Amino acid sequence: MDAVFSDSQNQFRQEVRDWLSANVPGERLPSLDTQKGFDLHRAWEKKLHAGNWGMVTWPEEFGGRGCSLTDWLIFEEEYYRADAPLRVSQNGIFLLGPTIMEYGTDEQKERFLKPMAAGDEIWAQAWSEPGAGSDMAAIRSKAVRDGDEYVISGQKIWSSRAVFADWCFGLFRTDPESSRHHGLSKILVPLDSPGLTVRPIAQLDGDPGFAELFFDEVRVPVSNLLGPENGGWGVAMATAGFERGLLLRSPARFQAAAARLVKLYKQNANRLSSGIKEQVLQAWGDTERFTAATYALVAQVDSGASISSEASANKIFWSEMDRTMHRTAMTIMGMHAELEEGDGAIENGRWLDGYMFSLAGPIYAGTNEIQRNILAERVLGLPRQ
Amino acid sequence: MNLIYTSDQQELIDAADSFFAGEHTVEYMRNLLESDASDDTQTLWNNFAELGLLGLVAPEENSGLAQDFSVMAGIAEMAGNVALTEPLIEIAGISVPVLAQMGATDELNAVISGDLKVLPVCGLSGMVSHADTADMFLIGEGGKARLLDKSDVTLTPLKSIDPLRKLYKVSHAGDGLEAIDQRGAILNASFLCGLSKRMVTLSVDYAKDREQFGKQIGSFQAIKHQLANVHTQIEFTRPIVQLAATQNGRCVHQAKVSSIDTAMLAAETAIQVHGGMGYTFEVSLHMFMKRAWALCGEWGDRNHHINILETMILADDAELGPGTTFSY
Repeated sequence: MDAVFSDSQNQFRQEVRDWLSANVPGERLPSLDTQKGFDLHRAWEKKLHAGNWGMVTWPEEFGGRGCSLTDWLIFEEEYYRADAPLRVSQNGIFLLGPTIMEYGTDEQKERFLKPMAAGDEIWAQAWSEPGAGSDMAAIRSKAVRDGDEYVISGQKIWSSRAVFADWCFGLFRTDPESSRHHGLSKILVPLDSPGLTVRPIAQLDGDPGFAELFFDEVRVPVSNLLGPENGGWGVAMATAGFERGLLLRSPARFQAAAARLVKLYKQNANRLSSGIKEQVLQAWGDTERFTAATYALVAQVDSGASISSEASANKIFWSEMDRTMHRTAMTIMGMHAELEEGDGAIENGRWLDGYMFSLAGPIYAGTNEIQRNILAERVLGLPRQ
Repeated sequence: MNLIYTSDQQELIDAADSFFAGEHTVEYMRNLLESDASDDTQTLWNNFAELGLLGLVAPEENSGLAQDFSVMAGIAEMAGNVALTEPLIEIAGISVPVLAQMGATDELNAVISGDLKVLPVCGLSGMVSHADTADMFLIGEGGKARLLDKSDVTLTPLKSIDPLRKLYKVSHAGDGLEAIDQRGAILNASFLCGLSKRMVTLSVDYAKDREQFGKQIGSFQAIKHQLANVHTQIEFTRPIVQLAATQNGRCVHQAKVSSIDTAMLAAETAIQVHGGMGYTFEVSLHMFMKRAWALCGEWGDRNHHINILETMILADDAELGPGTTFSY
């Protein structure tokens, strides 16, 4: 066990730092849930890709650098240290990309990974349905085989980025006789397909951050099937594992927020009640715990171990840590907490935005109640209900 | 950067784990409660010496295994898992490396062979479990480590809620020393992780056994979610403790605070899951729970470590944010 970065890791960090300081936009970009913000975030993805920084862990042939996961954590630390824009391509590069590398055919890798890395094709998710939220195995949307095509009918919901994105990936029932997690397949669908209607849903902040998707006999070629037909549940679980765990939420974003929280506390310290100080220390300490745990997890993965149900503890920890940290910021801001912009608004309402977003954390990617069930049953070995 | 044990290190920790689990059983502890059992204790101590546990972090020229301190922390967690009664972790993890640093070769060799017990004294509390079995005490005074013979100190018996802690106040505790107190805090945090883990295991076993409303109570989400919470806290405490054992610095204080919070949560959850049975002397839980309560306050209590963290984190020149975890 050692906790020292190697010379080459330090050199890599410096390289990332130098590139970001020369390239990160001076002003924060508008929300990526608006057309203007989305376009600017896509342009940023293209710039990252041009510098070969789009997804450092990917193999070189797909636009990456073949870096280790530890290097990726270093990259993320520098990324959030530089306060660089959010990753509008995250559904693709963090979730679908690794799944395609594991399950995709050579043709699929060639067709999808490069445009994904380049920001030319932005991906949305299409898992949940009105009747299949936490109970994802209740999916009813069907894909019926017709020659070389699937004909998709049904409805998906909570599809993040779908309003402005190019493609979606989701689970559809390909065996009409099947039930629960059997007979599902993972299929990739262009969002501009005839018969596919995207209805924007306004999020808490009023922007259309997600959408409802209506499939009315949407036709896609069978080559858009990812992984085995009727074996989509296993493929989806691989993606969900990435999402809950490692890739989506590296520690750096929370560490950056904790550092901002300490600053906010100090600026307001003279008017705060005494209990707030310990909440601030708790927020900082939790991000340090998350960091140490992530480096330990990465070391395990780099040594050949795979993460499965353990990822549930990860998701519970970061999402609840994030919510508590932002609540503390709201408490510190007090009467200024409600102000979105203008006179008296702190950091242009950034904490408020962050607080709203943090409320989604314990809900998306499998609610924390589901994660607790998974931990209790699959890790602790308690009996199923 | 590699924040996991190597396979050799893990083997040593696993070996200690199996030894503790095989010898330091609940029955062994019950026997200690009911009788003097000093023969059993001596046998156990001789085994520690034979297995090399006493010289785990000692230099090779003193017949030690020259292992990293982080391995000692891993073994402390396994000791916590069985609520080890004997002061192995304190002696092998604190006294031995400090004796080596002091160049006290004779005492060091005797400790490693199991013939001498040198117990470290926390400068903050002066309270030492099993002080009556010590031949010598190790204190920090004026920035230096110092050995005291047992005849140089007076021991005042104290009564701990933990019936297996034979607790004494040592009359001369010194003013503390980082080399002693840091190691004490880290190993204590690791031991607390082991206790927390065991309290979850005991609760899971009970929840699978106990039936109400015609079902195992462990099938109810009200039980599952409480235990999942403790599990999550343990999984996010152990790594910062291991980091503390590897690099020192401010994470030592965070490790101690988090391990205290986790252990108290584990104990409260465990007794809730056990229901009325958890409130009895008969069920084993109390031995682990009381040890956790006792150890939370040792080697700097929560207030002590939070106050240090406050000084470090709220300082004007504090380096915070991404990329600062492994340097400070």
